[in-house]
Amino acid sequence: MKYLVLLIGDGEVKPWSDQTSDEQAEAMGLFQAFDEACAARDGVELLAGEALAEASDATTLRTRGGQLQLTEGPYAEIVESMGGFYLIAAPDLDVLVDLLGHLPAYDMQISPVVDVSA
Amino acid sequence: MTPVDPLGEVVREEWGRLTALLLARYRRLDLVEDALGDAIEAAARTWPVDGVPDRPAAWLHTAASRRIIDRLRTEAIAQRVEPLLVIEAARREGGRVMADPGALVEDDLLRLVLMCSHPALAPEAASALSLRLVLGVPTPDIARLFLVSESTMAARLTRAKKRIVGAGIPFGVPDASVLPDRLDTVAQTAYLAFTAGYSPGTGADLLRASLSGEAIRLVRSVLAMRADEPVLVSLLALMLFQHSRRDARVRDGRLVLLPDQDRQRWHDDEITQARALIDAPVLRGPVTRQAAAYTIQARIAAEHALAPSAAETRWEHVVRLHDLLLEVAPTPSSRLARAVAVAEARGPAAGLAALEGVEIPTTHRIAAVRAELLARAGEHDAARAAYDQAIAACRNEVEIAHLRERRQSLG
Repeated sequence: MKYLVLLIGDGEVKPWSDQTSDEQAEAMGLFQAFDEACAARDGVELLAGEALAEASDATTLRTRGGQLQLTEGPYAEIVESMGGFYLIAAPDLDVLVDLLGHLPAYDMQISPVVDVSA
Repeated sequence: MTPVDPLGEVVREEWGRLTALLLARYRRLDLVEDALGDAIEAAARTWPVDGVPDRPAAWLHTAASRRIIDRLRTEAIAQRVEPLLVIEAARREGGRVMADPGALVEDDLLRLVLMCSHPALAPEAASALSLRLVLGVPTPDIARLFLVSESTMAARLTRAKKRIVGAGIPFGVPDASVLPDRLDTVAQTAYLAFTAGYSPGTGADLLRASLSGEAIRLVRSVLAMRADEPVLVSLLALMLFQHSRRDARVRDGRLVLLPDQDRQRWHDDEITQARALIDAPVLRGPVTRQAAAYTIQARIAAEHALAPSAAETRWEHVVRLHDLLLEVAPTPSSRLARAVAVAEARGPAAGLAALEGVEIPTTHRIAAVRAELLARAGEHDAARAAYDQAIAACRNEVEIAHLRERRQSLG
């Protein structure tokens, strides 16, 4: 299966901008460890992953009455801004959750990707 | 000796194994249950005429397999693509076909149990699904046990099954580092079903022992595969102690509290078994927090079960066990139970002090306990007010009758 993993809230992790450079280096080490753990695991492929810009740079797009509407900022229902994402192929939810344990302790949302080609 | 209902018996004993076996082979959660239902229906038609086959479980397995293969052929023709259940790669590559229940099947049953009580499922859904898929309890019965309509329960089960496939919840055994945590969830799932039967919130029945009995059966079947798992050993002990009192808890449709129960009506065989379980060596080593909490609760239940009479309960010892429980599981219901023990050990005033600040919004129990302690302390006005509060919040008719009676006895 393919999953989109959204790093959606800081959880118990200090906001990036409040972290010392040592703390930031440590977090980068965790991201690195996650990459390596994914690479080492059978049937797992990290397809994409990026850090995202600040919430103030996000744009929300909605279509209302057939009209595209753009508003400044992140989607309102997401109170905190999304920090990043991964697109990962993994055999199942347990394998994925096991690997995500390598990352900093963010709140995340895991959404399976729908295979429209089938 | 031929059992009175050979089909009913094989369904009861083998449902979980058959489901697990068929799932491992066909990976189609949506087809397996229906196919097994069809096979049982066919058995009900043919066995009385042709006689019960030598190996009834194998017969059902073959019949259900045929149904599934028929369905798969029909689908292949219709070119429909259904999502498959996720099965670990190693399991799939083996590609082995198992016609007979055997050692490997036990493993499949464990996979089924772990899948049904996966932490990514809502706890109520996991409980219901476990009863359905592992024990084969019919959906209308599960609906009755959980006090919801049949259509609500059917929808809940369907949603849970869809979610297993959709979210990629595996039909597999996680590695040893995660397994104890997952078995904790299995235990919680079973205990949720057990307590739902033991203290129903609404309706006329004081307890539905059959649901609690099914929950015990669920724990036993997992324990048969993981005999020394501390969380399962301690949970079974706790359940058996509580369950042993079921017949004494209701008399003439009225609630009978522990001190007034007829101890002759307790099930001694279950108490004996529970005692042996809490003395198991496996509970003396390091255990998970969950297992520790069950063990302490079972030891508290043991104090009650083994006291020669209610008056001779070692209440100070019970209070010490409650203190220990609060360290492991500092929940409002633990604090409520401790306050009750404190009142018995040191008098109603001490109990009321221990009850101070305990709040559980969803239950009438705190008000009921406060009322009882106030009555014992001679504060009848305050007791009446607390009884009124408890009666207003209580949803169980038998308990309401009991509370009314207590209130009236104050004069």
